[in-house]
Amino acid sequence: MITLKNIRKSYFVGERELPILKGINLRINKGEFVILMGVSGSGKTTLMNIMGLLDKQTEGDFYFMDTRVEDLNDESLASFRNRHIGFVFQQFFLLPYLNAIENVLIPIVYSDKEIKHPREKARQLLERFNLAERTHNRPAQLSGGEQQRVAIARALINDPDLILADEPTGALDSKTGSEIMELFRMLNEDGKTVLVVTHDPKLASYGKRLIRIEDGTISEDITT
Amino acid sequence: MGLYQKTSRLREFLEETLKILYYYKSRVAFSFSGVALGILSICVIITTIDGANKKAYEIFESLGPDSIIVFSGSERQRTARERVNTLTVGDADLLQKIGGIYDVLKVFVVRNVNMKYQDRKWQTMVAGGTENYFASFKWELQSGAYFSGEAYRNAEAECVIGAKVYEELFQGENAIGKVILIGRLPTKVVGVLKERGGSAGGPNLDDRVVMPLTTVTSRLANEKRFLTFIRLKTNRDVDATIEDVRMVLRKNHGIPVGGEDNFTTRSSKDILQFVSVISGSLFLFLGTASIVALVVSGFVLANLFYLTIQERKKDIGIRRAYGATRKGILLSFLFESVIITIMGGIAGVLLSVVLEGVFERLFGIPMEFSFKVVIFALTFSLLTGVLSGLKPAMKASRIEPIEAIRG
Repeated sequence: MITLKNIRKSYFVGERELPILKGINLRINKGEFVILMGVSGSGKTTLMNIMGLLDKQTEGDFYFMDTRVEDLNDESLASFRNRHIGFVFQQFFLLPYLNAIENVLIPIVYSDKEIKHPREKARQLLERFNLAERTHNRPAQLSGGEQQRVAIARALINDPDLILADEPTGALDSKTGSEIMELFRMLNEDGKTVLVVTHDPKLASYGKRLIRIEDGTISEDITT
Repeated sequence: MGLYQKTSRLREFLEETLKILYYYKSRVAFSFSGVALGILSICVIITTIDGANKKAYEIFESLGPDSIIVFSGSERQRTARERVNTLTVGDADLLQKIGGIYDVLKVFVVRNVNMKYQDRKWQTMVAGGTENYFASFKWELQSGAYFSGEAYRNAEAECVIGAKVYEELFQGENAIGKVILIGRLPTKVVGVLKERGGSAGGPNLDDRVVMPLTTVTSRLANEKRFLTFIRLKTNRDVDATIEDVRMVLRKNHGIPVGGEDNFTTRSSKDILQFVSVISGSLFLFLGTASIVALVVSGFVLANLFYLTIQERKKDIGIRRAYGATRKGILLSFLFESVIITIMGGIAGVLLSVVLEGVFERLFGIPMEFSFKVVIFALTFSLLTGVLSGLKPAMKASRIEPIEAIRG
């Protein structure tokens, strides 16, 4: 599903080059549950952004679903993200002026997939995540755990192939955090490819594969 | 994608936009009311100018493009509403000899005449005219007849009454053949004029009684020499004829070179000119005001949008992550701005409709509301929306998704 060949990414501060990723080689297959672990500044979020088609590498080849990403323009990238990827972020990023179900429906607005009765589907997703009573609440009226579950429902509405989660438990207490991780496990068992980025070693046990990233390179890649 | 899906997505998009506007309602209210005020003044300008032009054209039509009116009294005296009689029957006879003049109407007006029918009383003006009075002013009858040539020659007590006078004295009863008391003169009503309505800010045209000039001067006013005004029609150039008229009258009145005319000439051209001056200054004044209002609200809108974009960076990021293209972001921000200004425009138009009713009733300013106004107003609001929304929307569309999410 994802193939990275010698991916490098640098930021430039004036003349100075700041290498973040120093040659990443990685292959992620359909149905995997990967935990990408690393301390802050290790480059894990940059790697996730590249894999999520939100950022571009400075060097190297990246194939997403057998398509060379460098060849895609803004429009195709947007469409690719919409069709194939569901994002979950640490800060949830729900839109404050929309209620839960409307937030879940955001990807539908930009979608060209045939999804019949999207509203019904959103309702079912929310019910599945125990949010049936909360469909018409605004984000401000929801707890952190509830907001993250709404965000996960949003990630799923468009039937993506890959779920990318960046520190999804970072803003939650540990009990709620592990509930969220259980949810990811459940989704993976349903066949979704899941990639969770975290610095928290406690989350390592949820995945089937652990990739450790240190100073811009992969230092460990274990499949359990 | 099926049609159903497309329409439901469009609906989703519209609903979302309205929710965003509602969420940022205090900001929206600012820009909205600015645009509404701007559009309101534009509407008032257009409708007033159209109304004035229509009225002027009506007057022009009823006067006829070839007429000249000569009033007693100088321009200054007329402005001061001083009523003096300087024109004489002799003047009228002289004017008749000027080349090109083919119709001369002599009128003597008596104001504030008491009249009475049974126990109903009314006070109004009596116009004593020559036989061509009705044809000259294009007065039509709702019943009866004009006074006859015989009545004119014999100074008979006959009158034709205006619709307003008919209403006051007869209240819908048959008036033809009835005798009313005009001053102390019992007069037979021979006709009732059709209703013409009030003129803008001026007297009610229907509030008048018309009698033969001979009757008025010999039996009502005892004034056989002077006239209030003379109306001429010419088949020559109007301005050239006016010059001839002035020369004849100045000579006949013995006005020395450099002296002020003791009469005033008016042609339909003057009326049109007057209206164009009025609408010109109105256009200048209100036009400036409305453009300023629109520009200011445009700037306010643009600035508030810039602020909003900063605040909505994450919003933009998440939309970009979930498949919104740059173009999509640009269009949605532009759409928001246009929705605000279009709503402001609609409010402005509605407000102007209400205000026009009030204006017309209070000041008698005629206003001509038309489809043109709506088109004009909406085009202006659309333009304001696009122009003020474009730059912020472009800025929003250039935000990279990770930059926005990192926020």
